[in-house]
Amino acid sequence: MAKHETPMLDQLESGPWPSFVSDIKQEIAHRKANPNNVELQIPADVPEDILGVLELSFKHGRTHWKHGGIVGVFGYGGGVIGRYCDQPEMFPGVAHFHTIRVNQPAGKFYTTEYLRKLCDLWEFRGSGITNMHGSTGDIIFLGTHTKQLEEIFFELTHNLNQDLGGSGSNLRTPADCIGMARCEYACYDTQDLCHTLTNEYQDELHRPAFPYKFKFKFDGCPNCCVASIARSDMSFVGTWRDDIKIDQEAVKAYIGGEIAPNGGAHAGRDWGPFDIQKEVIGLCPTGCMWMEGDKLMIDNRECTRCMHCINVMPRALRIGDDRGLSILVGAKAPILDGAQMGSLLVPFIKAEAPYDEIKEVIEKVWDWWMEEGKNRERLGELIKRQGFQRLLEMTEIEPMPQHVQEPRSNPYIFWKEEEVEGGWERDVNEFRKYHLR
Amino acid sequence: MDENEARKTIVATLEGKKGKSKFYLKDFYAMFPEEKPRTIKNIVNKMVGEGTLEYWSSGSTTLIGLKGVGKQAGAEHED
Amino acid sequence: MAFVSSGYDPNEPMKNRITDIGPRHYEEFYPPVIAKNKGKWLYHEILEPGVLVHVAESGDEVYTVRVGGARLMSVTHIREICEIAEKHCGGYVRWTTRNNIEFMVDSKDKVAPLKKDLESRKFDGGSFKFPVGGTGAGITNIVHTQGWIHCHTPATDASGPVKACMDELFADFQSMRMPAQLRVSLACCLNMCGAVHCSDIAILGYHRKPPMLDHEYLDKMCEIPLAIAACPTAAIKPAKIEINGQKLNTVAINNSRCMFCGNCYTMCPALPLSDKEGDGIVIMAGGKVSNRISAPKFSKVVVAFLPNEPPRWPSTTDTIKKIVEAYASGAKKYERLGEWAERIGWERFFERCDLPFTHHLIDDFRDPAYFTWRQTTQFKF
Ligand code: HEM
Ligand code: SF4
Ligand code: SF4
Ligand code: SF4
Ligand code: SF4
Repeated sequence: MAKHETPMLDQLESGPWPSFVSDIKQEIAHRKANPNNVELQIPADVPEDILGVLELSFKHGRTHWKHGGIVGVFGYGGGVIGRYCDQPEMFPGVAHFHTIRVNQPAGKFYTTEYLRKLCDLWEFRGSGITNMHGSTGDIIFLGTHTKQLEEIFFELTHNLNQDLGGSGSNLRTPADCIGMARCEYACYDTQDLCHTLTNEYQDELHRPAFPYKFKFKFDGCPNCCVASIARSDMSFVGTWRDDIKIDQEAVKAYIGGEIAPNGGAHAGRDWGPFDIQKEVIGLCPTGCMWMEGDKLMIDNRECTRCMHCINVMPRALRIGDDRGLSILVGAKAPILDGAQMGSLLVPFIKAEAPYDEIKEVIEKVWDWWMEEGKNRERLGELIKRQGFQRLLEMTEIEPMPQHVQEPRSNPYIFWKEEEVEGGWERDVNEFRKYHLR
Repeated sequence: MDENEARKTIVATLEGKKGKSKFYLKDFYAMFPEEKPRTIKNIVNKMVGEGTLEYWSSGSTTLIGLKGVGKQAGAEHED
Repeated sequence: MAFVSSGYDPNEPMKNRITDIGPRHYEEFYPPVIAKNKGKWLYHEILEPGVLVHVAESGDEVYTVRVGGARLMSVTHIREICEIAEKHCGGYVRWTTRNNIEFMVDSKDKVAPLKKDLESRKFDGGSFKFPVGGTGAGITNIVHTQGWIHCHTPATDASGPVKACMDELFADFQSMRMPAQLRVSLACCLNMCGAVHCSDIAILGYHRKPPMLDHEYLDKMCEIPLAIAACPTAAIKPAKIEINGQKLNTVAINNSRCMFCGNCYTMCPALPLSDKEGDGIVIMAGGKVSNRISAPKFSKVVVAFLPNEPPRWPSTTDTIKKIVEAYASGAKKYERLGEWAERIGWERFFERCDLPFTHHLIDDFRDPAYFTWRQTTQFKF
């Protein structure tokens, strides 16, 4: 007999997509049977209460969770999110039920040995329910009691060599794309940079340092698989400065229909025979490609590295060899002043360990934001408030046309006194010699 | 700056605020206009480690106050 | 259920404390074929929906079978993933940014047994545990946030609508008939933890009623200055009220300034704002994050409000299907949803998708609004 009736949730068990309701039910059964005699540290029926609360929300059309903010592990400002149920008597198992963010490994590769240890710990001391993963990237342990928080942290650090992720006004857990581990488009080692910076900035990650949250994300190329350009205060996007490498034999094979375009991504529909003119050359946003006989030509100086041609013909075209990354800053979700996309700050920087040049840019940006940022003002909002020029000044980067989509269309330039010949102090009497009152 | 003096200033300032127990990092910077934010941030975080101050996190923002002071602890039944 | 100590001593929290060690090193977790060929991959190919091969300079190949997952996952389910990875993949597995799970093997003959095994596993309720797909010009997994399962400000659920939508879009998870990839995301309130603001189709929970005021408890439960400071639009002011002859400190909310963000409720449980009729879903469309061909774009609001309809949210899934079908039949090869809408014009977009246009869809929020109005005589009838 189920502890709580869940007629609405039960309707989410049918249909082909994996049902989280069925999954939680299998966890309920597992905890009840407890085949390994685990000394469960929070009640066995907690997952039943989770389903029960959710069913009640389905019925009421309202959440039944309240916020809490004090709980955490000693000395850390992030990594735990306090959570309380507003029907504690109906659902005692989840009356206090806090989230733990566990810092995922770069690239999200795992050995099963490690995963099993995580599962054992979370079955023993928590609800057994997780998010793989939260949208920032962390492994999320979804719900445990206050008393278990320190115990879990102790076990994570002592037995799993594993730390928590970020929350609050901290550096948030950085995240990266799979990059060089399995992607031929990667222009730098996203995992290495992500891991290196995560460790370099552990203090900022665990203890509040900033006016608000701060996110790093790492994309190996302009395809932006982790959406760094849209959702990180500082976005690192791989790029290159030299020529796209062309294998003319493979180009011929694409034209001849021997290789499917776009790695076979369009195989589900008959789009007709591959037409290089229409599908590649004609769609190049800069018009910098053409055919000379059966040879494909690229005017690389004009290419903006949009990745389209490379995506369509990965076996014929390869990223260049002079690789590095672009840094864009200030992306954020809409709240409060509307969404902001990242703005290009550093067009090209080499990405080689120990990444000192990159750290220098980061720290200059932070110094400015820590000094000038208002409470709960994201970096992108500060840049908007004080101007892109100010950002350049603080990071000691020279302005260049790459920094803008287009130059300003108003002439209202706030000239500084030192920029104007002779300064602003003038002698009005001298002026009056030539201009009567 | 003398760190112990700074500690005393922080505690005294917070105790002097009526009706409000949680503060942003910026409020601490304002107590020491001459100092670098990073220096103050490090002292504040140290004081949390020593048990004088505590964090309160909304999940997205962190506030800081004297340990155990304020109404949140009661409302969250964590007192 | 006896308490078992980990070794942590509450009286001496700093004793033996380990901190600031960061995540595990990624190299511990690379399958051998990845460790060996990292940075030396030549090209990849999608062999069939959900199955990829990557070929390295060394001639080595890695075959990946990608399966969808509910990101809300039990340890029992993760252990089953481990069991499969141990049986077929040498004990390695990975997750993608979009909550898919990738099983990798180093030779082609290992693919079919792996795939068969994955496809054969079903939950008791009948759904697939590991549906293969999510590649190429199709619709991959929906990234989403917490919703009613664990957050305090959601205006809709997350896991429920995602399950309902993915059931409807399932055929396109397992095929590649779209003009380009189509990314769907869900965030359950306007804080948009899930950063849905750059998705081809975004499902966004939205409140439409300002918070209620629990005057009697407000001053007892909350610090009024904190609730006031939390409001991004400065809609909250301190106030005094008399209840049963008792003078109480409380707040007043200027309802017309409220943008329904729930920040005040975060600081003060005496200001709840969730409401069955008030809360529901906004549909946004046409965003992208890739720099391919055109620049990254924000999603635009195309449906101002749909009601919450648990358990299966039919109005939401119907609307999404309409948009998907209009896009699939109208867009050119490689064209993302937003690029298609811009090419045909947004006036045509509403016509093709059979969506009504209402005044809510005209931007009036702060400065950038002006740039979204039509400032040309070029438009379509
Ligand atoms: C006042 C504003 C905000 C508050 C009070 C808030 C609060 C929260 C809380 C309590 C959670 C945890 C839910 C849980 O796991 O139980 C959360 C998750 C999260 N928040 Fe926020 N948030 C705010 C704004 C934002 C914004 C603007 C963003 C993005 C820019 C964001 C990004 C995230 C992310 C990525 C998660 C993880 C979501 C998931 O994967 O489930 N938050 N937020
Ligand atoms: S962002 Fe680029 S390098 Fe990274 S996984 Fe995507 S395509 Fe590959
Ligand atoms: S990467 Fe883009 S801009 Fe460069 S040649 Fe290819 S299609 Fe043109
Ligand atoms: S989007 Fe809003 S409701 Fe959903 S998890 Fe984030 S803060 Fe909570
Ligand atoms: S919901 Fe948001 S905008 Fe409305 S009163 Fe509360 S904090 Fe202010």
